Amino acid sequence: MVEPDDVRVREAEGGVGVGVGERCITCADEAVRVEVLRLDGPERARCLADHGWIETVETALVGPVRPGDVLLVHAGVALVRLDER
Amino acid sequence: MSPPEVAAPAARERLVLERIAARRARPALFRDARIGLAHGAGGKASRDLVEGLFLPAFDSEALRQLDDAGRVHVDGLRLALSTDTFVVRPLQFPGGSIGTLAVHGTLNDLAVTGARPLALTASFVLEEGLEAAVLETEVSTMAAAARAAGVELVAGDTKVVERGRADGMYVCTTGLGRVDRRAHTSPRRLEPGDRILLTGPLGRHGIAVLLARGEFELDAEVASDTRPLWPAVDALLEAAGGRLHAARDATRGGLGSVLNELATASGVGIVVRERDLPADPVVAGACEILGIDPLYVANEGQLAAFVAPDRADAALAALRAIPGFSEAADVGEVVAGPPGLVQMDTAFGGRRVVDLLVGDPLPRIC
Amino acid sequence: MRFVDEFRDPALGRSLADAIRRLAAPGRAYKIMEVCGGHTHTIYRYGIADLLPPNVELVHGPGCPVCVIPMGRVDDAIAVARRPEVLFTCFGDMLRVPGGGGTLLDAKAEGADVRVVYSPLDALRLAERHPDREVVFLAVGFETTAPSTALTLRQARARGVANFSCLCNHVTIVPPLAALLESPDLRLDGFIGPGHVATVVGTRPFEFIPREYGKPVVVSGFEPLDVLQSVWSVLDQLAAGCAEVDNQYSRVVTRDGNPRALSALADVFELRPHFEWRGLGFISSSGLRLAPAWAEYDAERRYRLPGVRVADPKACQCGEVLKGVLRPWECKVFGTACTPERPIGTCMVSSEGACAAYYNYGRVARQGAAS
Repeated sequence: MVEPDDVRVREAEGGVGVGVGERCITCADEAVRVEVLRLDGPERARCLADHGWIETVETALVGPVRPGDVLLVHAGVALVRLDER
Repeated sequence: MSPPEVAAPAARERLVLERIAARRARPALFRDARIGLAHGAGGKASRDLVEGLFLPAFDSEALRQLDDAGRVHVDGLRLALSTDTFVVRPLQFPGGSIGTLAVHGTLNDLAVTGARPLALTASFVLEEGLEAAVLETEVSTMAAAARAAGVELVAGDTKVVERGRADGMYVCTTGLGRVDRRAHTSPRRLEPGDRILLTGPLGRHGIAVLLARGEFELDAEVASDTRPLWPAVDALLEAAGGRLHAARDATRGGLGSVLNELATASGVGIVVRERDLPADPVVAGACEILGIDPLYVANEGQLAAFVAPDRADAALAALRAIPGFSEAADVGEVVAGPPGLVQMDTAFGGRRVVDLLVGDPLPRIC
Repeated sequence: MRFVDEFRDPALGRSLADAIRRLAAPGRAYKIMEVCGGHTHTIYRYGIADLLPPNVELVHGPGCPVCVIPMGRVDDAIAVARRPEVLFTCFGDMLRVPGGGGTLLDAKAEGADVRVVYSPLDALRLAERHPDREVVFLAVGFETTAPSTALTLRQARARGVANFSCLCNHVTIVPPLAALLESPDLRLDGFIGPGHVATVVGTRPFEFIPREYGKPVVVSGFEPLDVLQSVWSVLDQLAAGCAEVDNQYSRVVTRDGNPRALSALADVFELRPHFEWRGLGFISSSGLRLAPAWAEYDAERRYRLPGVRVADPKACQCGEVLKGVLRPWECKVFGTACTPERPIGTCMVSSEGACAAYYNYGRVARQGAAS
């Protein structure tokens, strides 16, 4: 039987090809805005991205965060904590 | 008076574009030394494999049509035959399982060819060690789906392979159908002016299976859209008859692949309007995060129909009246050219090309 | 919750496009380089080139960290991936980058255990789940991505994960820009600067461009309105005859960047004396490797790499395309020997590469212009 994957380990069995329709977010230098839902350790938070997607984010590079903070995340790491505007 | 730098390269650029167009028009060649996952993705590599290896070898008129089902004429009867193998991983996912796909998938290939199903066969490759409970669940799922579609399973086969192969189980189903007397569809029948109707939002199946592979946490649900499409085809045939020029379900390779295949087969162009595509916001969000284009994600319960303009409104109304198909929309139209080119008017106002898929964004999705 | 819709409003897009049209002096040709792969994607995804006047041209710069990995280093990665004990992890785009003898995807088809991850933290998690395997992460990316590698290594140490190492191919953004600006055949009027690299390094490192070369730089966000507004800003500066760094992405970017991220980079990495960029040659102080204190996680030390330098194919003109000297279709092998399915050079490899982006998205817009 296939063993279940871990939460953040999105094992594709290779084959994520390059071409139209596929894009490597990391190499395309993209970042995603997320909202902190709850803390998951001293430097980790569970965050809500657009449209209901929840993921674990490392927050060591933005300092202490609180639920409701909005972060900019790249490759699973928060790079900026956005002020309320 | 155009700036000097702009005028001179234009002629050179035209040459290059013509060269690319000529290459695209060349018959496909299969030259790879090994099979890769891309060959199963429904995109360019799949096409090269089918058109470069299988077609020349098997050399039949029916196969050359590259339709979703093979047409066989017997004593004046128009029959259709379709086969599909299901290798989805994991076996069960929100909204369905390998059993549901195995029945709906083959029946839908018959349906979009305009054929009512007559009989089904099923062939199982089982992995040593597969839990009997899992097999029993899938078998009863398949039986229920077949019954609901009014189809009998008339033959089957079972093989068992050693532990470590077959990921639990693979299922192959073959369906025999009879082409409805109202149906005259073909991938080559698209004409400029035809309107393109889509039955619902894209991407639910592919994303549901992807999410089922990991313990992703989502605030909202994504479930596979696997369902029988015959009711939709029936309604389209009733409303449009022979003015339904083609229909195809958008499985592997998604809507993007379907549009490219049909534009090429008919030698026409297609323009699809992004703002008219029915969207599932959760799927859109997941695709954005993963860097996947929903146009290429597999669906198991959506079809694209190409209807002559005089019957398009009636066809769309007929679709929307079916339970579960209320989100059907008019999403684009067939144009004269450039032949084989699919473009999209973006919601932002510009235009982009929707090309044939190259790699495989989500393997083992169906 | 939707963060992005206001930056995709088509009506605002049209009015920005009109403003750009009014600013662009007729009879003058403008070439603006957008450095970052993300901007290339936005431009093609939303058809932004369609909205610009014909004398304003966007040139794609060397902002694709995948594109610029030289073939010899891809061969090194493949050599590591082929080792039976190795579970090789990388980002998606790296799979199809051709080395001297094939791609990671080919190696996978031949039996190498190669897996795509979306974050180096996922690779570390794999190492913990598979203690019997040696997990290697192929680290690529600019300063936006390098901090995630740095954090991952810190966590590897903190959690005592020994079966994990990193094959580092991180590069920095400023040196190739400086190298381009020094080229005598460069013909660019301004730059759209990398928005997310700037969240880490700030806008300060780009100030040398207006100061020493007199060209405007606008650090831009990634939504279509951001890009249009940034094009407008470049033209506005040119019209006014001034040159400075304009932070269009100020909702996210500051002048000084992220000090914690910079400190993590300084801790975990050091600059290589020089690094070879595919199509651009050797550029000094442009590549990162693991600092000596992190040697135990350095795959270059853990495994013997072939380390063979493979020259760019003679037919490949990626260098000229990257410098903005050639447009994609002007390359001799574009669309024939070099296509997205069988790429020769870096510009066709990644979907953000100038040639792949043009091949897949831009053909028809240009077809209209060319006919």
